[in-house]
Amino acid sequence: MAVEGRLLFRGAEAELYLVTWGDGVALAKVRVEKPYRHPAIDKRLRWRRTATEARAIRGALEAGVPAPAVYLVDPPSYTIVMEYVEGACKLADIVEREFEKAKELTARLGRYVARLHKAGIAHGDLTTSNVLVRGDELFLIDFGLADLRAGLREKAVDLHLFLRSLESTHPHVVEVMMESFLEGYREAAGQEAVRELVAAMREIRLMGRYREERRTAWRSA
Amino acid sequence: MASVATPSSSPSIGGCNVEKLYPRLDFGRRVVVLGIESTAHTFGVGVASSRPPYILASVKDTYRPTTGGIHPREAAAHHVRVAPRLLREALDAAGLGIEEIDAIAVALGPGLGPALRVGATIARGLASYYGKPLVPVNHALAHIEIGRLAACMEDPLVLYVSGGNTMVTAYARGRYRVFGETLDVALGNLLDTFARDAGLAPPYVVGGLHVVDRCAESADKPWPLPYSVKGMDVSFSGLLTAALRAWRSAGAAARPRICLGLREVGYGAAVEVAERGLAHTRKAEALLTGGVAASPVLQEKYAVMAGLHGARAGWPPPHYAGDNGAMIAWVGVLNYLAGVTVSPEEAVVRQRWRLDAVEAPWR
Repeated sequence: MAVEGRLLFRGAEAELYLVTWGDGVALAKVRVEKPYRHPAIDKRLRWRRTATEARAIRGALEAGVPAPAVYLVDPPSYTIVMEYVEGACKLADIVEREFEKAKELTARLGRYVARLHKAGIAHGDLTTSNVLVRGDELFLIDFGLADLRAGLREKAVDLHLFLRSLESTHPHVVEVMMESFLEGYREAAGQEAVRELVAAMREIRLMGRYREERRTAWRSA
Repeated sequence: MASVATPSSSPSIGGCNVEKLYPRLDFGRRVVVLGIESTAHTFGVGVASSRPPYILASVKDTYRPTTGGIHPREAAAHHVRVAPRLLREALDAAGLGIEEIDAIAVALGPGLGPALRVGATIARGLASYYGKPLVPVNHALAHIEIGRLAACMEDPLVLYVSGGNTMVTAYARGRYRVFGETLDVALGNLLDTFARDAGLAPPYVVGGLHVVDRCAESADKPWPLPYSVKGMDVSFSGLLTAALRAWRSAGAAARPRICLGLREVGYGAAVEVAERGLAHTRKAEALLTGGVAASPVLQEKYAVMAGLHGARAGWPPPHYAGDNGAMIAWVGVLNYLAGVTVSPEEAVVRQRWRLDAVEAPWR
């Protein structure tokens, strides 16, 4: 399908268009060609990520995790048409602006991610930029790198990526945000699940090159 | 064990206004620093100045095993053997006596313990004997800063790719923040280990091209191999295993395709995570640095990626992309001007010294 609409945003891998949909509007996400990749690999990746994103969003919604509803999926044109969450901002912006609210939202995010993991889905790109906030609502977005048959390792990578996004983008509030996240996760999945997840993340972080680990609450197994 | 001396000529990279790159330093003060690099298989000595042309000398000698990979003890033995000659050559090339050097800089990590200790021991000795201040330098930071100087970039998104590192990083609030890195093996290690286990290497680089790039030249299409990007992290261990398995089971005719698949997936994933970092940070410059940054194939992909986001791409000349002493000397100048020194007793090596643990007080 060919997308006609107003370009809202050009991200790393996709362009987002505001399109007319029935009586209202929708967001069309089009994964664009990457000329630095071999064409065969590029097509395969864009096709697969489009299909994966649609399936993961459906799985998330079924597990009770809010995400923009999918209206249409068209892998041959690398396009998903989905609900447009109007007037939303990123959790990353809230972390910088409204600390107390961000703490509460991050705990809720922890609960949602626990539900997602219980459904066997790992997000694959869990950062404060991939969580939308509108009023008191929270939406997970960008599921293109999701793993629909996630084991403990893939789930632990989610935790690692979230911690990484705090370390790189919000270095001043890493500890407190991580504690909020894990508190929420614990509420939904239980203490044992958190213990396992944190231990697996620690393994991953120690495997990485030249890791320097400090021993703090969530870093020690 | 064989060792190959690289020519001691070092290309000039001094055409940049450093006051824009380091607004918090006073370049009115002339300081000259000797830097020692010994974190892995290269022993390098460089001399850098706070005044143009900035890099006064850079000589190096790389330990190249005739079979297998780098053995840390063998690398250390190599460094001990070549160090006295390279120190002399670096000072001669700079036209300076040791008494004209203001400080001794050394890479204290990250790297291989036995190799690191050779450089640290020599640096401590020189500093103590000649009564010079000793300046500690982080090896990863040095790759970034020599890249910034060579490409003249004020505030780039950085992809640092070498035998031991694959990292997406940018500066914020006093230090470099790591946005993504490899979850297992580094890009250079992926290529080298594959080449070695497939019987293509050593030597790993022939005529400026990696043997995997050479092997890929006659391929019509890439062999399908697993592509693993997680957020801004990459994972190459599954790719390495799959490529080696294909190499053993597929016929000889398929081999160029396997090389092309490995190369395209490896470079593609590294450039993709850099692109994610660039979109996230919205920087106007994109720097490629580290040993693998010498690859013309990777350079081209990186430039295309940066162009998609209206960013200027750049990388250091090959001599400064790989490990070298000049980059240690250059960060030595920066640290020394900023007052960062260490006493010889405290100058211990740190094998896992992370980039995001280092203050960069001169930006």
